[in-house]
Amino acid sequence: MNWVFLWLRALGFSATVPGIPLIALACISLFVILPSCALIAYLDRKLSADLQARVGPCRTGYRGMLQPVADCVKLLQKNSMHSQTLGELLWMLLHTMALYASLAAIPLGSLAMMVDTQMSVFIPFWSALVLALGTMLLGLGQYTTPGWLGGIRTAAQSLAGTFPSLIGILCVGMHAGSFRWSALAASQGFLHWTMFAHPFLLLAFVVFVGGGLVLLAIAPLDGGLAMSDIHGGVAVHVTGRQLALFQFGRFYGFFIWSVMTVVLFMGAWRIPESLRSWFLALDAEVCISVVELTWLLLKTYVLMLFILWIARANPRARVDQITDFSWGVLGPLALVALVGTAFWTMV
Amino acid sequence: MSRKDWSIGPLHTSLPGPMHMVLKLHGEIIDACQVETGFLHRGLEKQCELHSWHAALFYADHLDPEGAVFSELVLCLAVEEIAGIMVPERAQSIRLVLVELGRISSHLAFMARMARSVGSETIVHYVLRDRERILDLFELLTGARVSLNFLRYGGVKGDVTDGFIERVLDVCDLIRFRMKEYNDIFTFNAIFLKRTLGVAPLSVELIEQAGITGPNARASGVREDSRKGSPLYQALEFDIPSGKSEDFFAQGWRGLLARTSKGCVGDVHDRFLVRLREMTQSIEILRQLVAQMPLGVYQNTSIHIDRNYPIPPGESYQRMESARGRLGCHVVSDGQNFPGRIQFSTPTRASLWALPQLVRGIRIEDLPVVLASLDLSIAEADR
Repeated sequence: MNWVFLWLRALGFSATVPGIPLIALACISLFVILPSCALIAYLDRKLSADLQARVGPCRTGYRGMLQPVADCVKLLQKNSMHSQTLGELLWMLLHTMALYASLAAIPLGSLAMMVDTQMSVFIPFWSALVLALGTMLLGLGQYTTPGWLGGIRTAAQSLAGTFPSLIGILCVGMHAGSFRWSALAASQGFLHWTMFAHPFLLLAFVVFVGGGLVLLAIAPLDGGLAMSDIHGGVAVHVTGRQLALFQFGRFYGFFIWSVMTVVLFMGAWRIPESLRSWFLALDAEVCISVVELTWLLLKTYVLMLFILWIARANPRARVDQITDFSWGVLGPLALVALVGTAFWTMV
Repeated sequence: MSRKDWSIGPLHTSLPGPMHMVLKLHGEIIDACQVETGFLHRGLEKQCELHSWHAALFYADHLDPEGAVFSELVLCLAVEEIAGIMVPERAQSIRLVLVELGRISSHLAFMARMARSVGSETIVHYVLRDRERILDLFELLTGARVSLNFLRYGGVKGDVTDGFIERVLDVCDLIRFRMKEYNDIFTFNAIFLKRTLGVAPLSVELIEQAGITGPNARASGVREDSRKGSPLYQALEFDIPSGKSEDFFAQGWRGLLARTSKGCVGDVHDRFLVRLREMTQSIEILRQLVAQMPLGVYQNTSIHIDRNYPIPPGESYQRMESARGRLGCHVVSDGQNFPGRIQFSTPTRASLWALPQLVRGIRIEDLPVVLASLDLSIAEADR
């Protein structure tokens, strides 16, 4: 909780403010997660509009920059279309749980970290699983055929995606010698990324990202939410505020997976050592955390936009083909990466 | 997994128009399906009988909103045969230009629907952007973009406008150029191939049973086209393209790629491919047509058809190749100033009939793709 004190001191408060963890959680969601969500939503709409020879949002604010805000406000003032079922309540509970459990363990820099245990990596991973479980329950709880099919597809996909991505994590853990965020970052440098350490780790990177897309059902692998055949699948009966929550949850899954990928494979938050020692000499630790966070988020956004770019250029894959691909291609590749990394680490 | 019925329609995103399907599902596999249509029945044929011969053309226009010119032309042909009205050569040419532009426009709309059905939003926008250029041409010539209302018994409503011919050639070049782009991003995209190769192949037996015509039949290798042998197209040179059974090597490594994967003749990808190739042929036809556009009048000047004009008693059946297949028109005249009977035989009917057999055993996710690949027009089927 170091960093909260740092900031409090920098802003002129005494360090004895009660409810520090809550302040920290609120800060992360208000100043990191929500702006990221808005930014990626805007960039996605604007860049895909550029790709697709159209204009995209342009009315709200300068070049439509306030569009995500407008969307959110619109959804928030809407009521749900029908009364809530037990399944939906359960879903909302799981959703919130996944969200806040992993917020505490999300790695956003060497100083900005709340929980850093031996098993840090698995906390966001677990929350991705809970999100998938929640989505499945939401679909199954709707008592409609599209919702049912969407739920089943989500379940099948998350099962298929978990295996390779879990093994991808193991590869990195083996390489770094720990699953602690700080240790994972320490094993990398500003430009010395784990994914380029040796070919098997590059393979593990590909498997981890691919498995994550399958697990979280991110386009173009989002058969459970397909518009053309089951008109939205799980999301078909989710409206108003619930839809805002649902879409935010999906974004959060995507975001946290990208942050994990960056921390595990793409140099984490490491900035050049000279810059760091220069800041330390100036006694400006707040600056270090800001620069680290910026660098981490920048890489995360680039990765997310790259994935969105692929999604825009390709049709949606069929669910049975996705799961086949995940079990039949990503799974064996993950095992190859694991064995290769093991040998490489021993030698 | 449990069995389950799923009733979709009359309005659903995966359906080509208002129709109702009851699917018997086994997990995600469709075991059986019932198709019900008629939701878009407007009584067009009956309306034709209630008004003058002149007005029948306007109703024919609405038979298929996406290919208005086909039904106009086929009705004109039938009535002209009964009444013995001669059509000037220039008018014939203008009609065919419109028909071929209509075919390209309809096929482009087909591509957009196909892309939407597999969730490829980008290509939808690309294709619709280019289709606008053709609608612009329609507007330039006829003043309307969709429901043209331009053909008349004995000719067309007006002569070609200034600059029309040049713009037709420009658009031909553009579409030819864009098709390379479509192929690069979509036709041979790995995911698209995986979703379409080997899915719902139309067998020749089913084609014969159901009487399927047009691109759907040609994709399975039944190379029949009522344009060949038609006097209208006598002077024009063009091929009848078909699907995978054609030479793959002509397309280089992409063709080889498609051939080595598991696709079979007459599958969804073939139906897509055959329409792309037909667009190429239509462009060739258009180039020939505008290069040898005859001079003269655009309308038979010896007659003046208004709403009191009687057509002599007689009967005629004419057919032509619309973008979706063979469109027939049966016209009976009692010698009055209104039709005795007008009846259209539409290609979509046959495809709808074959639908339950075609979708048996496919997955739900393939249903919109298969429906889009058949290029159904519910407006045309329900009339």
